[in-house]
Amino acid sequence: MNKIIIIGAGPAGLSAAITIAQNGEEVLVLDEYMLAGGRLLGQLYEEPTGNWWNGITESENLYEKAIQLGVDIQLNTSVYDMEKQNNQWIIYTDNGTYFTKNVLLATGAAEQPFAIPGWTLPGVMSVGAAQVMTNVHRVKPGKRGIIVGVNVLSSAIAMELQLAGIHVKCITLPKKTKLAKESGDPLEVMNSLLHVSHMAPSKFVQLGSKLMKNDLMKKMGISFYPKNGIKMWDIPIMLRKAVIEIYGDKVVEGVKIATITPDGEVVKGTEENISADFVCITGGLYPLAELAAIAGCPFYHIEELGGHVPLHNEKMETTIEGLYVAGNITGIEGAKVAMSQGVVAGFSILNHIQDGKFNNDIEKSIKEIEQTRNSAYIQFHPNVEEGKHKLKKHWENYIGKELCKMVK
Amino acid sequence: MDCSMIVCRCEEVTYDDLVKTANKYKCSSRELKLRTRAGMGYCGGRTCRSMIESIVDKENEKKDEHVPLKYQAPIRPIHFGKLGGMNNDE
Amino acid sequence: MTNRIIDHPILGKLDQSESVSFTFNDKQYTGLKNESIASALLANGIRVLRKHEESGSTRGIYCNIGHCYECRVTVNGEQGIRACLTPLRENMVIISGEKLLTSVKDWRLDNE
Repeated sequence: MNKIIIIGAGPAGLSAAITIAQNGEEVLVLDEYMLAGGRLLGQLYEEPTGNWWNGITESENLYEKAIQLGVDIQLNTSVYDMEKQNNQWIIYTDNGTYFTKNVLLATGAAEQPFAIPGWTLPGVMSVGAAQVMTNVHRVKPGKRGIIVGVNVLSSAIAMELQLAGIHVKCITLPKKTKLAKESGDPLEVMNSLLHVSHMAPSKFVQLGSKLMKNDLMKKMGISFYPKNGIKMWDIPIMLRKAVIEIYGDKVVEGVKIATITPDGEVVKGTEENISADFVCITGGLYPLAELAAIAGCPFYHIEELGGHVPLHNEKMETTIEGLYVAGNITGIEGAKVAMSQGVVAGFSILNHIQDGKFNNDIEKSIKEIEQTRNSAYIQFHPNVEEGKHKLKKHWENYIGKELCKMVK
Repeated sequence: MDCSMIVCRCEEVTYDDLVKTANKYKCSSRELKLRTRAGMGYCGGRTCRSMIESIVDKENEKKDEHVPLKYQAPIRPIHFGKLGGMNNDE
Repeated sequence: MTNRIIDHPILGKLDQSESVSFTFNDKQYTGLKNESIASALLANGIRVLRKHEESGSTRGIYCNIGHCYECRVTVNGEQGIRACLTPLRENMVIISGEKLLTSVKDWRLDNE
């Protein structure tokens, strides 16, 4: 009845559950997906050490560990509402209603789409959809595909698709519109790519280091950027072409692509059709925080964290008693950071229940988040630290104001 | 070409519909949603929400007054039979 | 001819030991037990999961993790089931949504 409830069985939620169970409290984890692991499930990449980061085994390990510790994990359970009554949270799911004093929201991230004419055709999917189909379900999203949107997520997933024997014809930009402005601007995309140059092929890094110096140089770089792209893992990354339409009768048959100017404007007469049986769209990830909004958390829009995030402190506490957050709901970062955030949230909840017994653990685990962040192989935003700092300021302001109200 | 491009997949609201309405009424994202039904379909606006907001941002000069779309329960469509149902084992 | 990734250089061999049969729009298919309905259908070459209620335009998976509801189908008589996160079971009866017979009034701008 009064088990601690964690919403989301991804790296953050499961790590928190393990931490809590290891210290003798009962936990219930809810997740709407059919497997535990969240976005971690799909991840597959080679680390600089030569080891493969395999999201499926990582997820299984976390799941097994949690189960062994007696954590109750309910999958295929969607939470559709939550509210606080008489100092208790009521969690409404499609599998019944639960009550608890402490809730951890570890709901992760959602993918930001942008519209392209024809994007409702079957065969058009988010890049994460293609990743899950390929790595988790082991079904090819198609035989030959095109990825629209150049970012960290799409380049990593393109490689994974290639690894599974799926032909990725190219990664290219969307046409610049009011809906896909940054994603459709060659210069903006180039800028963001230069920050993740450690993932790019040497050619790109060489080009990048010359271009980092100033805007004029960058613009020149885009002007001279090869029309057919620079290859990464044998996949052309085309910053001077944009998809203007996806075509097909009942399902995707291909895309209409055109050359664009360094400013992202379509060069008339350059349109050509490329056949494909699947198309991925990606505008990156943003924190999925619907439940935090319903619960009444104040929000701040912080670019470096990927969007609107619920206000929270380093201990993963929100402004509402008994409500905690961890993982990508607090900002877009890798799975390892999410895990260490889960540990902090776990200790904070324990501390709340067992009257300050875990202060040292909290302090230690907060430091571990920073270490994990600094050694992260994939960084979704180059200035995550700055984003976290901004949030800290907001927290201090908020708490300051609340204290003033109390004094009055 | 862009005119008939669908933004809200659930309710099939087009880019053209949204831009014209935003222009005509100089409205907030909430009003734009109510006038066009964009974001009011099956998925609850999870897919097109940010696109609706960026259209309002660009069409409306009074940017600072922009109130973002609100989140409302239920955040997942739910059968009436399951609404507020209690656990059998509780 | 299969759309399944049987041998993966890192993830290894696919476990295909437990297959189940199911129907989609009255046709018989086989899939793997507990895989998602969406992946079983895609493995059988089926991308179109439903038609839009109003326009009849074809739809398939979009987000594949339960956020967008584009893949909703009727399973064993229950409507609105997300194919992307519902495990496949023996003898499941899956039906796609079709265009509705009568359209609702179009209340958009040019119809005022």
